[in-house]
Amino acid sequence: MSSLTSVVPKLYQEYITKTPKKLKIIDAYLLYVFLTAVIQFVYCCLVGTFPFNSFLSGFISTVSSFVLGVCLRLQVNPENKNEFQGLSAERGFADFIFAHLVLHLVVINFIG
Amino acid sequence: MKISLILGITACFSIALADQETLVLVDNLNIRDTHSQFFKSLQDRGYLLTFKLADDANLLLSKYGEYLYKNLIIFSPSVVEFGGQIDTETITKFIDDGGNVLIAGNAAAGDVYREIATECGFEMDEDSAAVIDHFNYDMLDDGDHTRIVVSPKNLINAPTIVGSHNTQPLLFEGTGLILDKDNSLVLPILTADSTAYSYNPKSQVKEYPHAVGRKTVLIAALQARNNARIVFSGSLFFFSDEAFNSPVSKVHGDKMKADLSGNKALAVHLSEWAFGERGRLRVRRVHHHRQGESQSSNTYTITDTVVYRIEIEELKNGKWQPFEANDVQLEFVRIDPFIRTTLQKKPNGVYEAVFKVPDVWGVYQFKVDYDRVGYTRLYHTTQVSVRPLQHTQYERFIPSAYPYYVSAFSMMIGVYLFSFVFLYYKEDTPKTKSE
Repeated sequence: MSSLTSVVPKLYQEYITKTPKKLKIIDAYLLYVFLTAVIQFVYCCLVGTFPFNSFLSGFISTVSSFVLGVCLRLQVNPENKNEFQGLSAERGFADFIFAHLVLHLVVINFIG
Repeated sequence: MKISLILGITACFSIALADQETLVLVDNLNIRDTHSQFFKSLQDRGYLLTFKLADDANLLLSKYGEYLYKNLIIFSPSVVEFGGQIDTETITKFIDDGGNVLIAGNAAAGDVYREIATECGFEMDEDSAAVIDHFNYDMLDDGDHTRIVVSPKNLINAPTIVGSHNTQPLLFEGTGLILDKDNSLVLPILTADSTAYSYNPKSQVKEYPHAVGRKTVLIAALQARNNARIVFSGSLFFFSDEAFNSPVSKVHGDKMKADLSGNKALAVHLSEWAFGERGRLRVRRVHHHRQGESQSSNTYTITDTVVYRIEIEELKNGKWQPFEANDVQLEFVRIDPFIRTTLQKKPNGVYEAVFKVPDVWGVYQFKVDYDRVGYTRLYHTTQVSVRPLQHTQYERFIPSAYPYYVSAFSMMIGVYLFSFVFLYYKEDTPKTKSE
């Protein structure tokens, strides 16, 4: 227990100091997406699954956004440079936007 | 014009007659006299009786693939083998093709009878065995106690077959029948009392009799799946003038007495049923449509309200008239019945059901399967398909779905704003700045 109390502030400190600001922006975006997904899920549990397709498309859009965000974060992270040889951060962002276009097309189709 | 009219009339007439053509096979033509009342009742109702000796060498049931007769009466227990082209096989085929048969035997009936009985799902007791009842025999019995008195209470509860006014005791003398319990098409019309058994009256009882007590069936009937009807009586005497006219007085027990036996009424009723004058049903019309529309449709959408109407007719006194019942059921079946409901009776033999199609799509059948003792089997199916809602039929902008809409759009706006922040953010000496 004592180790946990010592680890958490240390982790926080490390995150504040070591993580580049760009990744922190992505993390903030991911947190926002995650919270939206949780709120939707709780709402669905309370109200029931009645417009099930709407729930699915709303929930899946958040989940996919989250996954895409994580992918972007992986590609942009300077520590993963070796993993993505020849793929610039801009290329990664372009992929991210393209995937989002496809995702939202599908979501809008399915939501009604 | 005139000729065609005459031709039409004769055609109608011959159709009407075709139903009534009846072949009567007898041991000897004497039976025409000893059973005259029964035959007369048939002739009065319009049957054309053709009497033939059972071993006549020119016997024919069909000619050029067409049956010459609609009904067959076999009153020839002593026949060893039928003559001409008639044998068990042709009789079975006759039944398979929808012909009606009335058979009466007696204790001396031969193997041909046994074969026919077996084909129809009955079993006749052994040669020379007769139904004996030491407690319910008639005063005129000659000592063997085989001329038994049967109470009308032993009749099957089916007014269509036996009529509703059987109050007089019945006289019976002949062999017993055994029915297979598993055969649901076979009906025991008249059973013996619990004190009866079937054995050779001239010999001592050494083995356990085949038919004992109420299991001894005296008259049995079969309505085949093709609605052919067979009535099998163990007693030819049952149909005779002697039995019709004879008074009944039981020697033992309740000393049941009657001036006239009930044989005639029952025999006439049985023949009416056997030859299809009673208990015949048919579907006249079937109509189904969406509630509020009048056009019939063979495609419905899930959760539609459907109105199903069926018109059923019964043959009464030679005319098709509306059928009256309150237990006709409808099933809406897709492999399993999804809906089973009792049809509401409306005037003129119309039965109606209004129900909601289930929320499951697929190919369904409206099925009416009305199978009651004494009536022909009524079976009618109509196939319809039930499809899901069309793309344009779904409800839009449901209030409870707004959070989902909001979330989906917020994801779009989120990624839009995020792109700006992400692209225009310049990381100028991040490490020192953050500290």
